Amino acid sequence: MEPDDDGLSPEAIDAALKQTPRGAFVLAGITVGLLMAAWLAIYFFVFLPRGQVS
Amino acid sequence: MSEVSERDIARSELRWGVITAISVSIIMVAVIFAGVVMHINPPSNIERVNPQDLHLSAEFTEANLGTKVEATGQITARIVATQFAFVPRCVLLPADTPVTIRLSSPDVIHGILVSGTNVNTMVVPGYVSQVHTVFRRTGDLLMPCHEYCGLGHSEMMATVRVVPKNDFRPGPDGRATCAAK
Repeated sequence: MEPDDDGLSPEAIDAALKQTPRGAFVLAGITVGLLMAAWLAIYFFVFLPRGQVS
Repeated sequence: MSEVSERDIARSELRWGVITAISVSIIMVAVIFAGVVMHINPPSNIERVNPQDLHLSAEFTEANLGTKVEATGQITARIVATQFAFVPRCVLLPADTPVTIRLSSPDVIHGILVSGTNVNTMVVPGYVSQVHTVFRRTGDLLMPCHEYCGLGHSEMMATVRVVPKNDFRPGPDGRATCAAK
């Protein structure tokens, strides 16, 4: 097999690439969702209960 | 790549941009809420003091350090942060009462935080750092130096002793110390 021959037809590659944005979106969504959840949890359950400061 | 998939990518990016904008907006609203409604703001006080004769200044002389109830009723704790100790090493403050902590340094930059609270500020020579707060829980709260200030930095810590409001009894001169408790 040639190095650039992955055994996939151009149609199959096109079909796989069509799914890429959705996969990236889900991955980034989970990552940012966890980050936001952690930030909000620290904010509401640690930072605000510690009371006022100025 | 087909035209359809490129449109999908553009749509995904747009959608992702909207989610990012919403996330940033939520954080901005939370920060503004903390500042305006909860009165939680970064301590900011620009007040000059000469670090070279800090110990001779009216406010940060040794006899004036520690907690004092002012004539106005305002409770103020004055602390000098110096290599490698806080003077005094323990300050007594009442819970559920507005208090002011004022700090200064005669030597290098220090920093303080009071564990379990939002009290956190730098102590810069030449300036008076000031924090207004209300302690909600009682007990001995550790106040370490959190800005590397030299070889003894790790040993530099003090205690903020928060007592119930009714147990806070300053002397006739308005002063309250941990030893008197």
